[in-house]
Amino acid sequence: MTPSTDRKRFTVPIGPQHPALKEPGHFAFDVDGEIVQSASVRLGYAHRGIEKATESRTWVQNLYLLERICGICSHIHATAYCLGVEKLAEVEVPPRAQAIRSLVAELERIHSHLLWLGVAAHEAGFDTLFMYSWRDRETVMDILEALTGNRVHYSANVLGGVKYDVDDKQAATIREGLDFLEERTLHYLEVVTTDGLFLQRTRGIGVMNRDEAEQSGVIGPTGRASGVHRDVRIDSPYTAYAEHPILPVYESTGDLLARFIVRLREQLASFEYIRMLLDHLPNSPLTTRMPRRVKEGEAISRVEAPRGELFYFIKSNGGDMPERIHVRTPTLCNIASVAQLVIGQHLADVPMILVGIDPCFSCNDRTSVISQDGQRDLWTWDRLRQYGINHYGTHYSKDIHR
Amino acid sequence: MKLGTLFKDALHALFSRAATEPYPNPQPNETERLRGRLMWAPEGCTGCNLCVKDCPANAIDLFVLDKKAKQFVMRYDVGRCTFCGQCMQSCRFECWHAANDDWSLAGTTVDGFTYYYGEEDDVERVLAEPVEEHPVKV
Repeated sequence: MTPSTDRKRFTVPIGPQHPALKEPGHFAFDVDGEIVQSASVRLGYAHRGIEKATESRTWVQNLYLLERICGICSHIHATAYCLGVEKLAEVEVPPRAQAIRSLVAELERIHSHLLWLGVAAHEAGFDTLFMYSWRDRETVMDILEALTGNRVHYSANVLGGVKYDVDDKQAATIREGLDFLEERTLHYLEVVTTDGLFLQRTRGIGVMNRDEAEQSGVIGPTGRASGVHRDVRIDSPYTAYAEHPILPVYESTGDLLARFIVRLREQLASFEYIRMLLDHLPNSPLTTRMPRRVKEGEAISRVEAPRGELFYFIKSNGGDMPERIHVRTPTLCNIASVAQLVIGQHLADVPMILVGIDPCFSCNDRTSVISQDGQRDLWTWDRLRQYGINHYGTHYSKDIHR
Repeated sequence: MKLGTLFKDALHALFSRAATEPYPNPQPNETERLRGRLMWAPEGCTGCNLCVKDCPANAIDLFVLDKKAKQFVMRYDVGRCTFCGQCMQSCRFECWHAANDDWSLAGTTVDGFTYYYGEEDDVERVLAEPVEEHPVKV
């Protein structure tokens, strides 16, 4: 942080501890009175070295490691990885497994959006909405637990298919839960669009029009709230989305209110989609044979996580472990827009704008080493670890004491 | 434009049961597919070691006493287990299953997290020998 020399301006540092969310990230806002004049974002406080760790684990073990990149969108990480590895291994996944992957992904989207609704309402000081949305979220968590056996890391995927089937009893439980959740979601949609006090915190705040959204490259519900017609489920269908397309949801106003509406309407679309999937579950085995060594080559897989496009690059050298896996999470695309969105806004609205993109800091931290002399340089796990210790131990402490 | 849109919910909640469940007494009802502590039955084991190779947390180890006579002992560290269920998937002979009624596994000491499965005599034999600690992979 550089102290401002301009007397009229003052820099407000927020983070790295608890910058509106319980995840580390540093933001510096130059304010003139209450109005933000400029902002900077600094990430990299929660780098975990997962990409490097994948290189010393087998293809099967990596499925569970990568699933644990995110606690909220765990299934979609595993799906993206499975799709990439199956593409490399030239394995065709049975249609029922494809449908169940989509089913769990949509249930996960509902849980993620309800969680976000609560967090966003909490940032606005509307804790009643926070409490009720999280109470209702338990319904979808219970469905996921009944379906897969776990509340958070479902581990429904396996290379070459899925582990768990949906029987009639579970289908009935899911339908019952969805009916309740649909009623509640419509109620929340009414609350966020009509509550006078809440509208003052959302309407016309953090507006990003379509051109700005295109330029800053925002994706997922954040982009769709600004009218960016981009959804991997529709643009490049995977699993069951090719056979059964999902209804896209777009808004055009691009303010915080639109981001609420898009996410709530996406939930409604997910309810419809899950019901349709349950009606049309194809009959087939759940898994297919998967080789333990994956053919040499490179694959890219893209999926629509609850927060936006999730991108996986997978490279195999023909062995039982990957040579390289790169993961780009949606937050990396969306976080830069925060620095633009907050300009001209009140400082008090900053946490809401930040939460509006539904950030997940820990999922998106990566390390890139750029060699200036063009020489090849090998980074071992120990070296990366030592670098991390030195980086946080000296670099940041200097920064703070300066 | 309205005010107090959640007032009805709040009023309703005032006269309804708490949304949270009491714990630890009584224990909440477990679901059928819940993955609790893993159990291993030695009957079907052929000593192929696939479950051990596939375990992402290195939580299980197989001791082969006599492969021909099918004498195996499985060591399971519940403290390392991530309850992903891959071992159940990897085993073709259904030796593994997760107990859905044994999930309250936290402890206040570091002891008691390791389980040995197998015939009683075999387990005693394994425990009598000095066992090399499982190497921790980073």
